Amino acid sequence: MFAYLLRRLFFFIPIVFGVMLLTFVLFFVVQSPDATARRVLGQKATPKSVENWLHNRGYDKPLLINHTPGKPWHDSLFIHQMGRLATFDLGTSDVSGRPLREVFAQGVLPSLLLTLPAFLLSIALGVGLALYLVFIRNAVVDLAASLFCVALMSVPVMVYVIFGQFVVAQVLNYFPAFGFELSGWSTPKFLLLPVVLMVVSGLGADVRLFRALFLEEMGQDYIRTARAKGVSTVQVLMRHVLKNGLINLITLVVASLPFLIMGSLLLENFFGIPGLGNVLFTAIQAPDFAVVQASVFLGSLLYLGGLLLTDVCYAWADPRIRLQ
Amino acid sequence: MTPRSISRCFALLAAAFACSFFTVLRAAIVLACGFAMGACSNNPHPEPLEKKSGDGTPWKVRYAALPEDPRSLDPQVSYDSVSRRVLEPLQECLLEYQPFKTDPYELTPCLLRALPERFERSGGGIGYKCELKAGILFHNDPCFPEGRGREVVAEDVLYAFQRIADPKVECPALSTLQDYVEGLAETFEAARKSDSFDYHKPISGLRVTGKYTFEIHLKAAYPQLLYWLAMHFTSPVAKEAVEFYDGKVHDGATREMFRFHPVGTGPFQIAEWKRNTRIRLKRNPDYRTTTFPLEGWNADQEALLRPLAGKALPFVDEVNMTVFRETIPIFLLFRQGYLDGMGVGKDAFSSLITPSRDLSGKYKERGVSLHRDIEPSTFFMALNMEDPVLGPNRKLRQALSCAFNAKSNLDIFFNSVPIVAEQLLPPGIAGYRKNFRNPYGYNLQKAKGLLAEAGYPNGKDAGGKVLEITLDTTGGSANERLMAEFDQQQFEQLGIKVKVVENPFARLMEKLDNGGFQIAAGSGWGADYPDPENFYFLYYSKNLPPAGKNHSRYQNPEFDKLFETMATMENGPAREGLALKMNDLLAEDVPHVLNMHRSTFSLTQPWAPRIQSNPLLEGGLKYAVVDYEMREQLRAQWNKKPAWPLAVLIAVFAFGAFLTLHARRTS
Repeated sequence: MFAYLLRRLFFFIPIVFGVMLLTFVLFFVVQSPDATARRVLGQKATPKSVENWLHNRGYDKPLLINHTPGKPWHDSLFIHQMGRLATFDLGTSDVSGRPLREVFAQGVLPSLLLTLPAFLLSIALGVGLALYLVFIRNAVVDLAASLFCVALMSVPVMVYVIFGQFVVAQVLNYFPAFGFELSGWSTPKFLLLPVVLMVVSGLGADVRLFRALFLEEMGQDYIRTARAKGVSTVQVLMRHVLKNGLINLITLVVASLPFLIMGSLLLENFFGIPGLGNVLFTAIQAPDFAVVQASVFLGSLLYLGGLLLTDVCYAWADPRIRLQ
Repeated sequence: MTPRSISRCFALLAAAFACSFFTVLRAAIVLACGFAMGACSNNPHPEPLEKKSGDGTPWKVRYAALPEDPRSLDPQVSYDSVSRRVLEPLQECLLEYQPFKTDPYELTPCLLRALPERFERSGGGIGYKCELKAGILFHNDPCFPEGRGREVVAEDVLYAFQRIADPKVECPALSTLQDYVEGLAETFEAARKSDSFDYHKPISGLRVTGKYTFEIHLKAAYPQLLYWLAMHFTSPVAKEAVEFYDGKVHDGATREMFRFHPVGTGPFQIAEWKRNTRIRLKRNPDYRTTTFPLEGWNADQEALLRPLAGKALPFVDEVNMTVFRETIPIFLLFRQGYLDGMGVGKDAFSSLITPSRDLSGKYKERGVSLHRDIEPSTFFMALNMEDPVLGPNRKLRQALSCAFNAKSNLDIFFNSVPIVAEQLLPPGIAGYRKNFRNPYGYNLQKAKGLLAEAGYPNGKDAGGKVLEITLDTTGGSANERLMAEFDQQQFEQLGIKVKVVENPFARLMEKLDNGGFQIAAGSGWGADYPDPENFYFLYYSKNLPPAGKNHSRYQNPEFDKLFETMATMENGPAREGLALKMNDLLAEDVPHVLNMHRSTFSLTQPWAPRIQSNPLLEGGLKYAVVDYEMREQLRAQWNKKPAWPLAVLIAVFAFGAFLTLHARRTS
């Protein structure tokens, strides 16, 4: 297993390199460093100030390979940036000059405070409701719930956000419509509404998926045997269907763990939660290539880490699977 | 948490346990939700920094909105509107704008004792003698010995000018000031070559002549220098602060960078900055620089402002600026009374403003006030004078100008908020003529006649070929595309064909710089300072791109001559006369199709009446007032919680319980 992990970790290097190269090319094909400088400095920027801005950030170097006579080929923007990232030096923001290590460190906790409770609640509610629907399958309530789930899935997230902000926060005055405070007991009041909205917006899809997974398990021979032995439906569901359905759940759950850290772009923005989603959104608008690049770098590492963790969890959950 | 909400929670708990099929877990969930709903305050702001002000009155907080985090609060760097708005109450300038005089704008001393005194230097050139007020202190800050702010001296102004010339600082003012202030360009180039800046070496254009006195030496006459002294770029900076806040680790703790920790002399200082969330400013207890003006306001403000005349500033103890990236939450919080003012954007426009451009009745009843401000800015379409079709054909340019209905454009896309630009200079700038009408403003019949005179009757040339013109715009959003289509339709009314090319912002800037366009939409200029020179320089032939901003590539020796004379004159009737002549030349030559002077609607709550409306003050927070008691009363009135949602909550959980019971029975 150790050799397997080592080999998988080794594969991270070319994959992350490829992702970074793709990001770099896409970003600078769409917008040259010169154009980025102009957007950051605004309409009134003079060529001299643009030149100075580029020089101070190293953007005056050739993009991928340095063909200048007398200069080493690797004295280019991409190679410099990759060298920096290889040592986990995320650099500084192109716009504000803030160290990105600090920017990301400050954004992780607010993002997790939003996404983790929402994630856990979604799983708990999704699994619970799906089990219930499997239990009463083909009943009127099951059909109604399925339709309701489809309706929940069909509504765009923005509608939930506007509904939540306007009705719950504005008309009913129960929660703050906006804001965030990371200090003890005042934090939950800012998170309750976005967490509920995040759960509700994803619930329909989760329940439908989990229900399908559990129904598949219900059709297995071992379930029939258990039923024949007189095991009650509730026990069948809780002890057998749920346990064996876990393997499929793991794929979904573990693979989505890295995205929790990266936060929610939309909800963080609308509720003023200063998480990583907010950081990335601001960087794209600015545009701040350093932040985008660092986000992609961290995101790809987290995603690869998540996939690796999924494989490990498979082996843990299913004794038939061996990592070689 | 109020006794009412506690009792509500207990009632919920009892109800939950009373039902036999409720489990303890479910009761706990109901309790938690009820507790949260009953006890949560919907106020998004933290408790004020203190309860009482120094004079025993309640601590007064002003709540404002920011569209994003400031990029930099370094006075020599800060140039974007958000950063300037935050910096304005923190860092004072040598001069400032009189808050009530906007037509024309007027400069008054701030850190300086009096307006700078101009003198002719013996070796040629112009100089300005300046004297700082004595006894002005920097904010108390750990960068100073014992944390006590020291006195501002002339050396701090020299240090600010050195920072302007430091390439690493990236001061946006350098490109202009280096053309006038002696030694600035040379110092910049030397630092650029050596890749380091020698702060021990003075700049020849700024001579410190005493503890509080200094002279600014110019290469040529440049009366606009005074406006630069009213900007933060030339604000004195404490060297200790820049050296202290270096962003590095000292004694195990990382210090902020100076750009995030300004140490100024303003009426407020930063008490808390939670990145991407909020900035809280606290009154500077040592603030003595200025007091409330004794005069200058309009007669209708007399009752409000007379009691404030001559009083110490600021009037509020704390300013809370919350960062909102979306406009909808701003509107929601304003409605709840958690913001003291807001700009009226597109999202909330129809809810707030009536078709007659008045405040809607619902908000009038609440005591909200509506304000309309015209910014010193002008937006237009640039016509390329070097283009072989447009350049030599003045009649064609005049026809295009006549074909564009600016008013319709503003009605359709801007809710009729901006005003139609009849001339390049916006209101409030010396040389602006109130009753002037653009001779080539919208008139379709005239446009067709001019087009025929230009050699294109019905849009066709002598050979019968339809004239085709390219219109470059910024693209991307649906709205931008609609605007481009509108512009296209306007010109095509003449029978010509207009090809629209959508460009990313930076690409359009490139085209403007290299001249690769015929008509460029969305060009414009917002005043750095309220002087006609700051607008007419856009058409000065020595300002051709890429170094300058004469994107139309307008070259008229007569205009240039007038510009050179006007630019170096002191304000007065003679200067205004020249500005008028220049306006007439531009109006006749039509190097642009004029569109609008930007204007904004904003709202203020009844407890936060507007004191001043000078757009060049970037908020003028030191003049802001708040009626604390009225705010508390109205907030309580506007934020009552109905009880029925709790009943709905119980019903939902009861239904859940029923489902469970049903499941058990079935099983």
